[in-house]
Amino acid sequence: MDTFEPKIVGFLCNWCSYAGADVAGNAKLNVPASFTPLRIMCSSRIDPALILTAYFRGADGILVAGCHPGDCHYEKGNYFARRRFAVTKNTLKALGLDSQRLRLSWISASEGKRFAEVVSEFTEHIKKLGPNPLKETGDL
Amino acid sequence: MSNYDIIRKKTIEFLKKARDAGCFKHILIPMEIPSKESFSYVLIKDESFLIDASPLPPVNPVQGAKVLSSLTRRGELTGKTAAVMRPCEIRAVIELGKLGQVKLENIVLISIDCPGLLPFSSYTADPEKGKARFEKVIGEWGNDSIRPVCMTCTHFADKAGDIHIGIIENNNDISVIPVNDRGKALLEQCVIPAGKDTGARETKIKKETDKRQENLNKSDDELKNSLQGLNNLDKMFADCIGCYNCMRACPICYCRLCYFNSENIRHEADEYIRRAEAKGSLRFPADTLLFHSGRMTHMSLSCVGCGACEDACPVSIPVARIFQFIARQNQALFAYTPGSDREENIPLVVYKESELEDFEDSH
Ligand code: SF4
Ligand code: SF4
Ligand code: FES
Repeated sequence: MDTFEPKIVGFLCNWCSYAGADVAGNAKLNVPASFTPLRIMCSSRIDPALILTAYFRGADGILVAGCHPGDCHYEKGNYFARRRFAVTKNTLKALGLDSQRLRLSWISASEGKRFAEVVSEFTEHIKKLGPNPLKETGDL
Repeated sequence: MSNYDIIRKKTIEFLKKARDAGCFKHILIPMEIPSKESFSYVLIKDESFLIDASPLPPVNPVQGAKVLSSLTRRGELTGKTAAVMRPCEIRAVIELGKLGQVKLENIVLISIDCPGLLPFSSYTADPEKGKARFEKVIGEWGNDSIRPVCMTCTHFADKAGDIHIGIIENNNDISVIPVNDRGKALLEQCVIPAGKDTGARETKIKKETDKRQENLNKSDDELKNSLQGLNNLDKMFADCIGCYNCMRACPICYCRLCYFNSENIRHEADEYIRRAEAKGSLRFPADTLLFHSGRMTHMSLSCVGCGACEDACPVSIPVARIFQFIARQNQALFAYTPGSDREENIPLVVYKESELEDFEDSH
């Protein structure tokens, strides 16, 4: 299991978290190489279907990251995103699926260090969980 | 006269009186279809049709909220129309009203105590027997020939409309109960004495509600064992043919084009091959669980448990019970009861600045 490098999909808000990831890169902070960032315009762009698609295709972890509450570029996007995320995660939990593979974090444009920490912490957590069984399930 | 006919006759009398007094011009109400095999909603202007109306049909092929949404799709009604429906249908109407999918102006919502509905397919197999069974259902309240999802419904006597027709413990009569100011004004306008909840009615409702709650707890326990987890989900949806009837019959699924029925989830052959290679195999129809869980995340906050999806499923998957099981857990996140309060927003369009801390930075 020590060779397991979790595949983590990160939906990063363009204005904060994606910029935070940039800062982390420029500062040469350590971010697990298996992290796959996807730039979105706002955390509220994330429809539950996108998270679920990644999950059912076998992503080991899915991170949704946006601006801190109050700082969304579109004012309220992240508040709505938080409600939708809660419904998505709660649905997986109610279905008895791995809701633990989903994480929501607020990371600002200057928080390179926090970005690296969030991703590393999440990666460690997923390593303990092991690979997503859906990776090898004939796709329900 | 049978219970069914008494309720029918009394309700029609009330509607006729209210219409003659100018409370509304048209009436939308279920009616038996000429072949006597089923029922459908009919918009009535001509009084001669009203005598055939069935305010409490034993089956309900099309959910009333869907009917009102097609009726007002292009704009509100100009004259007043009364819509007589079961509480779950009216609750769905209220949800659609919030979403701008039903224009509630000029619609007088009239709810009626609901003893449950029979499963659609069992009724159409033998309508005569079905009618006899339904007569017993009305007599007994909570008889187990009603749909399983109705057996677990605690909203059967919800005064969901502007006016509510009470039939529980009413000694061969109905009681016309005004629910809000609008209903009160209408009854006054047409000089119809306002009925009210009697002690006997409330006691009976409480007793039935407790029974249903017990059924619900039992059904939840069953679902925990038979639904949760990958293997169970696989079994539960193994027969799903991907017809999307459940989505189409659902009053809450209002999107003109469902994401899960769109080109967004139709892919190039290569992509399916890649998925099959990565996973070892790929089942078709593909994305079954994505469809069901996706629909849950999109609409479950407003799911009223009407059972329309389950009635429409050709392979008898207990879709309504499954969706209600998930829906109630999602609704609990926001202490939301769909269709109960017209002023309360659907949770996904509002927020609090501080909330849901458990979902932040946690796994
Ligand atoms: S999901 Fe099923 S039970 Fe829920 S509102 Fe839609 S049709 Fe009714
Ligand atoms: S109606 Fe039944 S078979 Fe059709 S998509 Fe829904 S669950 Fe599957
Ligand atoms: S712009 Fe960053 S969360 Fe909305």
